[in-house]
Amino acid sequence: MAYGTVSADIVQSSVSGVSLGAGNATLMKNRFINGAFNVNQYNLGTVTPTANQYIIDRWLSNVSVASKFSVAQSSVAPAGFTNSALITSTSAYTVASSDYETFQQRIEANNMLDMGWGTANAKTVTLSFWVNCSLTGTFGGSIYFPASTTRSYPFSYTISAANTWQQIAITIPGDTVTNTAPTGTNLYCIVQWALGVGSTYTTTAGSWVNGNYASSTGATNLIATNGATFYLTGVQLEVGSSATGFEYRQYGQEFALCQRYLPAFNSVGAANQVEMITTGWVSNGASTAQFIFNYIVAPRVRPTGLTCINYNSFQINAAVGGGLASSVTFLDASTAGARFQVGQSGMTTGQACQLYYDNTTSAVGQLLFTGCEL
Amino acid sequence: MTYQLYIAGIKATEPDAAMTINDPIVQKSFLFNVDNSDYQQFKIDLANGTTLNDITGSAMTADQIKTFLETLP
Repeated sequence: MAYGTVSADIVQSSVSGVSLGAGNATLMKNRFINGAFNVNQYNLGTVTPTANQYIIDRWLSNVSVASKFSVAQSSVAPAGFTNSALITSTSAYTVASSDYETFQQRIEANNMLDMGWGTANAKTVTLSFWVNCSLTGTFGGSIYFPASTTRSYPFSYTISAANTWQQIAITIPGDTVTNTAPTGTNLYCIVQWALGVGSTYTTTAGSWVNGNYASSTGATNLIATNGATFYLTGVQLEVGSSATGFEYRQYGQEFALCQRYLPAFNSVGAANQVEMITTGWVSNGASTAQFIFNYIVAPRVRPTGLTCINYNSFQINAAVGGGLASSVTFLDASTAGARFQVGQSGMTTGQACQLYYDNTTSAVGQLLFTGCEL
Repeated sequence: MTYQLYIAGIKATEPDAAMTINDPIVQKSFLFNVDNSDYQQFKIDLANGTTLNDITGSAMTADQIKTFLETLP
């Protein structure tokens, strides 16, 4: 029987790449949410963003110039993973000095309170991820830390073989320069992979600096090569100076973590199924009904909007009138629930009713409550 | 993209939200909240000359939209 080893900040098992780390807890050690890209409530397919846009749960495409790359959830993945994010360059674009195109996750301060960045007790972290790119060379990214004085840590990494999965690990010392770090539900930091960043936002890799920098000097710009592909998965940020095994969470747990930032109803997509959502009442002139959506998970902040997909397949069940929705719109919300209204006609004011999704076409119906992402 | 104003808040008396109305599949609706990305896009679209209906569904003029845009947070 083979045995593992114990060193100062890592417990290494006898299986290569499987280890426990040096954080306060080895459970929930990964500060990223959806680091394996398994949760995809947005369900958008392949998107070429024209502005900043969340396309896979918790992952933001940061765009200063529209339509230079596309993003999709992919089933191409290294051994041990089933999904990745696929980023594809849509042209051979010459990056200008002020361009800022990155793929990033924004991490909430509540999940980073032990880091102590901005103090003498700042903790060292290690960023690790799997990457597969059609290009080789030196690539860049950064950690952006919006404390009272904005700080950045640009990093670089080398992709040595094209179209080959490779694990990268980057150890980043805690920022000990005195600063007031964000707290609560606010943004603590952005971890970003540069896809095309101009000279205004690049500087030397490997140390904390004042200002907003998204990449390292001399990094390869993916969007400069038409059709270039970049797969990313197994993304982990953990306390300590060693990259340890990727923290697999149960799907329901990861899904719940995502719903803190995107409360949602998603129909299961099978044809000819009725999916009950909630109950409500006919509220105004027999033409609208109001409903309360009770979240599965309390959101980070109260939602401020609603995106409804296939809204005309949502249906009101009422004793008088009812039928397919003509509109589905947001009203207001707290962190306990959201109120929204559904347009119909011929109902009786004051009567109770039910809202369900009538899936006659296999099209996915969605209620996505917006405004909770960072 | 065409937008229409509406009253959303339970105590609101003036339009405090907007919704999209010309897409047969996707409907977006949002409060006038600076942290909502759809609201941010709404303001960009208005500045670029998109169509905006008032609360009754009547199209607003370019001057009316310009004046309205100046009142938004």
